[in-house]
Amino acid sequence: MDQEHQRAIAVIAHIDHGKSTLSDRLLQLTGTVGDRDMRAQYLDRMDLERERGITIKAAAVRMNYKANDGEIYQINLIDTPGHVDFGYEVSRSLAACDGVLLLVDAAQGIEAQTLTNLYLAVDAGLEVIPILNKIDLPAAQPEKYAQELAQLIGCGPEDVHQISAKTGQGVPELLEAIVERVPPPKGEPDAPLRALVFDSVYDAYRGVIAYLRVVDGRIKSREEIAFIATGVEVEADEIGIMAPDPTPMPELETGEVGYLISGIKEVRLAKVGDTVTTRNNRDADPLPGYREPKPMVFAGIYPVEGDDFPLLRDALDKLQLNDAALVYEPESSTALGFGFRCGFLGLLHMEIVRERLEREFDLSLIATAPSVGYEIELTSGQRIEVHNPTDMPDPSQIEDVYEPFVDVLVVTPTDYTGTVMQLCQGRRGDLQAMNYLSPERVEIHYKMPLGEIIFDFFDQLKSKTKGYASLDYEPAGMQPSKLVRVDVLLNAQPVDAFSTIVHRDKAYDYGKTMTERLRKLIPRQLFDVPIQAAIGSRIISRETVKAKRKDVTAKCYGGDVTRKRKLLERQKEGKRRMKQIGTVEVPQTAFIEALRVDSDGASS
Amino acid sequence: MTVAFAPSSSRSGEWSAEPGFGVYVHIPFCRHRCHYCDFNTYEGLDALFAPYVDALVTDIERWDGEPSPATSVFFGGGTPTLLAPEQLGRVLAAVTERTGIVPEAEITIEVNPETVDETTFTALLEAGFNRFSIGVQSLAPHVLEGLGRTHSAGRALEALAAARRAGASDLNADLIYGSPWERPGDWARSLEGVIDAAADHVSAYALTLEEGTPLHTLVATGRVPDVDGDVQADRHAVADGYLRAAGFERYETSNWAQPGRASRHNVLYWSGGNYAGFGAGAHAHVDGRRWWSERLPRDFISAVEQGVTTEAGFERLDDSQRGPEALMLGLRLKSGVDLSALERSYGEGFLAEREPVIERLVGAGLLERSGSWLRLAEQSTMLANDIICRLL
Ligand SMILES: Nc1nc2c(ncn2[C@@H]2O[C@H](COP(=O)(O)OP(=O)(O)OP(=O)(O)O)[C@@H](O)[C@H]2O)c(=O)[nH]1
Ligand code: SF4
Ligand SMILES: [Mg+2]
Repeated sequence: MDQEHQRAIAVIAHIDHGKSTLSDRLLQLTGTVGDRDMRAQYLDRMDLERERGITIKAAAVRMNYKANDGEIYQINLIDTPGHVDFGYEVSRSLAACDGVLLLVDAAQGIEAQTLTNLYLAVDAGLEVIPILNKIDLPAAQPEKYAQELAQLIGCGPEDVHQISAKTGQGVPELLEAIVERVPPPKGEPDAPLRALVFDSVYDAYRGVIAYLRVVDGRIKSREEIAFIATGVEVEADEIGIMAPDPTPMPELETGEVGYLISGIKEVRLAKVGDTVTTRNNRDADPLPGYREPKPMVFAGIYPVEGDDFPLLRDALDKLQLNDAALVYEPESSTALGFGFRCGFLGLLHMEIVRERLEREFDLSLIATAPSVGYEIELTSGQRIEVHNPTDMPDPSQIEDVYEPFVDVLVVTPTDYTGTVMQLCQGRRGDLQAMNYLSPERVEIHYKMPLGEIIFDFFDQLKSKTKGYASLDYEPAGMQPSKLVRVDVLLNAQPVDAFSTIVHRDKAYDYGKTMTERLRKLIPRQLFDVPIQAAIGSRIISRETVKAKRKDVTAKCYGGDVTRKRKLLERQKEGKRRMKQIGTVEVPQTAFIEALRVDSDGASS
Repeated sequence: MTVAFAPSSSRSGEWSAEPGFGVYVHIPFCRHRCHYCDFNTYEGLDALFAPYVDALVTDIERWDGEPSPATSVFFGGGTPTLLAPEQLGRVLAAVTERTGIVPEAEITIEVNPETVDETTFTALLEAGFNRFSIGVQSLAPHVLEGLGRTHSAGRALEALAAARRAGASDLNADLIYGSPWERPGDWARSLEGVIDAAADHVSAYALTLEEGTPLHTLVATGRVPDVDGDVQADRHAVADGYLRAAGFERYETSNWAQPGRASRHNVLYWSGGNYAGFGAGAHAHVDGRRWWSERLPRDFISAVEQGVTTEAGFERLDDSQRGPEALMLGLRLKSGVDLSALERSYGEGFLAEREPVIERLVGAGLLERSGSWLRLAEQSTMLANDIICRLL
């Protein structure tokens, strides 16, 4: 379609403010999805998305809209995820848009991801359409929040759309506003092809499906094309649009959004951020890509059954085809056997990967405590990266330990300003800035170690502010810190899976928590089992699991030896499945429980 | 009443090392089910008493096993003494008829205190029973109540006394310890009571919460405190102290006897001996074949009436299973097991395979070895399962 009649937008918002529900209404009003086929959060297609009620992957869809001026417009819409772990999905989506619908829940007001997503959109030079959603809610305060939102964007409160994505109220007017306010794509139709890959997924039947936006020129089916960054040259087997199901097309014109299937079998060969061009034009200037997702949180993942290691490897290989943010390398642990050190975007990402591995590949897994990645400057001057606490060199070889810091943004009602600051300060936070969004709402910026927020920071923040504060963060480089490794020993044997790197001031707490947890988790044995936490050779906490005193069947009722034997055979089998740490038998569940951490940043 | 072959009513204390052949007879009836009980027993089936006795007799008569004179017979339940002594005598006579009973045999019947008086004991002795196992359980009223026993402490002591008056020489008192209601003094008094009542055998069992019992539910729902293994270990030690002082010796995890009064039937189980089993849900074993009868009295009776087998299931163990089973059973006995005998019976390598584990456990003081005999150390008595399952 000619560019004048194209609009490309993304829906952005804080988690749960109703992006996917608004997308539903847009799909319906434009007749893209019939009423009979409609279901809530239509674009959340993954099982996990539907179960958790959140969006994990951005989804693109094309709609045709007959506007009040009588013309048909092509609207390319991308629904984005709201969770902080998947923030990179938002930034890649924005690269394929000319405008955004910024949604704010009219009962909640502005929250942290509202701000970060808005800043991303403004940085990308996109037209922002401010919207208050959920005005049907009894708790909605549209006037108040329209004011707040208007002030943030620098427009009048009357420019803020007030809608209910649920009932559809205000959505027709919104469609008109999209046509009126979002600029059409600016590319050069006659220039050689340049299309930006903004997503790339693996499909077992079709191979890699690259989602792209044609910036200049056009792309034709069966055309010889090239990926500029990877240098891969292939034929465009199929080109199409999502409407909302994949629909093949002979070509995509300038500005259009669609997909490309080209026989490529690995996502890394059709990378997100790469530029597609025609083969004879492969020296073209690449389009600006965007930051590659960088793993922030690391953990060891081990099969409960040692025999499942090859299965786990296959499963990770397959999962990575679809999840460019997942990285892993094999490692081994004396406690847990063979497994992989994996890097994740955050704890929710870790939880989701783990759940997919267990569910889709029928694996039973143990994950070690997640940690961030450290950089260590050795006395030799060499600088190494450490993703696993056990790789931390001896203190005598360490000059400095660097840990990742993040810029944290908290948006909270002003009543909780002190509470939030106290919490951040307690986590080694450094106040950077404070900005009143309105007399009742403030944004607070801190610089903090990532390691301090990946555990229970979000839960703490939520509970201390009665759920009103919201959080976002982004990487802010490495800084030196006073970090030590705490080891946990069972009967004097260190258990590598429990070692962790923490700030010196937190070492005692960690040691105490772990020894207390383990005392409750390790079944009593034939002898006393001391549990210790130590920094180097210095013991900082100690508990004991007292020897058990009774484990015997009272009698053999009526000569039923069979029952007794089965009982003991089960017990023997149970022992066989335990991990042997020195002389101590540790059930898998103890590892799972001891290493359990509360997810951070999950939707409340 | 007549008994085809009357065994002597008092047996000499000695029995040969040869385990012999046992007969178990199950009587699956009780007046009221105790709160902790998951045994194969039923309330309110009085109408089945007579047909059940007939069925038992018929089943025993039809038994096609290799007859071997019984060295021990055990009538267990349920509450065998809910049946009239004549009925019990008929069944015992059928056993005598079918398998024969050696003159010195131990012929035990379980007795619930509230079901008997002196005349019952006299009748039972006359019928051929020569050993009574009395379900005392506790002499503390609140413990009896908690357990759901329907007799008083006095009635239990009276049963022991009545048995003596009737001329019984072998008396076992069954006790349960470590229930949530029991205070340390309660346990000591119960032990003293049965010692004073001149029981010459005491079976003391740690209360076990079995799934499906009312007590299990009460504990699971927090209405009754859980049993405490540490407390039970203490109580076991207390029992051993009291009983030893009174001249008893522990010969199995839960069983103490005056010299020569160890229960032959009990020892038979733990030494992997052969025994037939008759009645609903009764278990039997001959040379590695274990089988069991229809569990429900009604099914048992109708199988007999229809002339079909009462066997409901079986397993046949090969040598590779019998060896470990013999270990599992034998280590419950104070005397332990003769490893070289096991190796002779169950195959080369039996020992070698386990040697490293045995070595370690002996080193840790949990097992004791003398010559080819292996036994649990005194301190590991109450840890038997943990230790044994490492040897299976
Ligand atoms: N009452 C009311 N509820 C709404 C409205 N819009 C969305 N919701 C509800 O808000 C919840 C979140 O909606 P979603 O559309 O999944 O929100 P989202 O922004 O896509 O969430 P993420 O993708 O997880 O960030 C759902 O329970 C919706 O039914 C609205 O206008 N009114
Ligand atoms: S008397 Fe014995 S068999 Fe009967 S219910 Fe009580 S414990 Fe169970
Ligand atoms: Mg969504």
